[in-house]
Amino acid sequence: MRWYIIRRLAWALVATWLAVSLTFGLLLAAPNPGADAAAAQCAAQDRDPGECRERYLERRGLDRPAHVQYLDYMSDLAAGDLGYAQSQDKAVTAAIADAWVYSAQYFVPSIFISALLGYSIGLYSALNRYSVTDYLGSFVAYFGISIPNFWFAIVLILVVGVYLRDASLFGVALEPLSLRTYYESDYPVFSVRNAKQLVLPVIVLATASVASQMRYSRAQALEYANSAFVKTARAKGASLWRVLIVHVLRVALVPLSTILIVDILAVLFAGSFVIEQIFQIPGLGRLQLTAITQRDTDLVAAITLIPVVLAIVGNLIQDLAYVVLDPRIDYGDR
Amino acid sequence: MAAERDPMTFDGVDWDRWEGGRGVGSVQLLEALAGLVLLGALCFDYVLVAPGEPTIAVGGAGGPGAEAAVVWDVSSVEWLFAGVLLLGLFHIAVPLAENRRMTAYYWRQFRKNGLAVVSLGYLGLLFLVGVVGPIIWVAPNETIDYASAYAPPLGLGGGLSSPEHALGTDAQGRHIWHLIVYGIRVSFEVGLIATALAISIGTVVGAVAAYVGGYVDEILMRYVDLQQTFPVFILLLLIIYLYGASLLLIILLYGVFGWEGIARLVRSEALQRSEQAYTRAAEAAGASRRWIVRRHIIPNVSSTVITAATLSIPVFILGEATLSFLGFGDPSTFSWGRTISAGRADLDSAWWISTIPGVFLFLTVLAFNFVGDALRDATDPRSES
Repeated sequence: MRWYIIRRLAWALVATWLAVSLTFGLLLAAPNPGADAAAAQCAAQDRDPGECRERYLERRGLDRPAHVQYLDYMSDLAAGDLGYAQSQDKAVTAAIADAWVYSAQYFVPSIFISALLGYSIGLYSALNRYSVTDYLGSFVAYFGISIPNFWFAIVLILVVGVYLRDASLFGVALEPLSLRTYYESDYPVFSVRNAKQLVLPVIVLATASVASQMRYSRAQALEYANSAFVKTARAKGASLWRVLIVHVLRVALVPLSTILIVDILAVLFAGSFVIEQIFQIPGLGRLQLTAITQRDTDLVAAITLIPVVLAIVGNLIQDLAYVVLDPRIDYGDR
Repeated sequence: MAAERDPMTFDGVDWDRWEGGRGVGSVQLLEALAGLVLLGALCFDYVLVAPGEPTIAVGGAGGPGAEAAVVWDVSSVEWLFAGVLLLGLFHIAVPLAENRRMTAYYWRQFRKNGLAVVSLGYLGLLFLVGVVGPIIWVAPNETIDYASAYAPPLGLGGGLSSPEHALGTDAQGRHIWHLIVYGIRVSFEVGLIATALAISIGTVVGAVAAYVGGYVDEILMRYVDLQQTFPVFILLLLIIYLYGASLLLIILLYGVFGWEGIARLVRSEALQRSEQAYTRAAEAAGASRRWIVRRHIIPNVSSTVITAATLSIPVFILGEATLSFLGFGDPSTFSWGRTISAGRADLDSAWWISTIPGVFLFLTVLAFNFVGDALRDATDPRSES
């Protein structure tokens, strides 16, 4: 087992190196958008665009041979220096440090809510098939998978922000139900006002990921629903929830953690761009969009690597969790 | 001894007739012919037709410069789309039509799911409107009319609404219905072409990994691992940032980076199949590996693969719409994502611009998911979900 863990750690390192090299290679091979922008600016001021382009490349050391740049980039990265973010007027690490708090504020609650809801509905409906909960669950699953989250966010804004503002039901104004639709970053993190403005982003993001967790946990639990250990536990008189949590979830958690990490991370990251753009949250997604529109290559490359590294680390943790969670898996011969 | 053989007994079957041997059947000949015609048309478009000139201009008074009744400048994506449709016709529709009994069986299984049948009908209708619609309704940009901008849908009051633009108009007076019709084609192109690409790459990689094994398997599957970790959406944003957006690039990227699930599926299925008696029998009879993979493994895996791939169509469609919504789509297409994004600014006053195309996008993705799930239940009775 130790050998397996060592091999797994080594692979995580290799994967990170490959991903970073790939990003670097892409940036090197492509025409530099920042240099294009500099050249265009010079051309507009009646100066020689070629010279400006060269000066831009020279200033950033991009005119050096590829292998020198590569070694430089890798050693900077190893030292934690990700470059300078022009669009934010500060170091890339500082820009990311400022932004991630805003992303985490709606990211973390969404993961917890969707995991809790998804697993409990999924497991419950597997053991109570063709019940109302089961049909409700599959309805929610189809809804969550199919609804485009940007459109869902827009409809929510329309209903909660625009319609409820002046609607009334039986003479009672529904105005108190109306929420802020645009994020105000001045509110303190742990305050009711902040929690209220995070409700909509969390709903949108959780809807997208709750669906896949529910589907997979239901399918997983179905495999064990008729197995001997579940029947034994039921026969012993264990309650439904005890069977689900202690017996089914323990084995099902292994494949489910794969889904949680790979699938959910992808869903959440793609979702964060949309959500931060629509609700105007100054998090990582918006930072990346600003960097892209302002042609800030250092920042674009750094933020690209965040989900990649997170995914690699997540995969590593998940593989190690396999060893702990499922006693049936034997790594002796690997 | 009678020279004629009784076709009803096992040893009386003329196997050469059924197996076809190495000969070429009429269907393959027809497919090759259709492929050649398409290729010829493609060459005609790229070699003979000057850039910027429409490929097809039919009707109207002849002569250069004259206004033609039907003008169609076929884009590279549309050529690809035609190729994919041709592939689908010969590799999905023709086999289904040839094996009537199997088709009838699958259809009976599929029909059990009423919602999926409705969804299939909706998708068929949408496809028809998307392919034929642009001939009937003019391109949205030709109806720009600021006088009739922000007209609400029919029946919602407002002096501007008229049956001519029953679903209302956007900020430039373009008809929402026209935007939707032109958006259907974009969505189908993205979903079908990217899926076809993903199926081809994934099947080849998975089958090779399973059948060659050893180091090849290890390297290919490690690459699949790596590709699965790299979030496609982020990679797409990076590449579009560097090279600029075009529909062709988006489709190719989704196809080229979206096959890892299919490769895994094909590999695990192929490993199971290669243990089965018919593969063993073929091996014992002296068949080469290539023959076994092509003749036994891939055909037996294909139904699982196509079903699984059906479920990746909505993912690609949603991905393209999201990219377009964020402003990274192809600016020359009328993607639903772009229309929804444009309507966001007028959400307070003109809700229909964002919401109506969104309903179509939602229903399309939902329908693909229903059909995909029902197909999986029909073809694979083991997987109950």
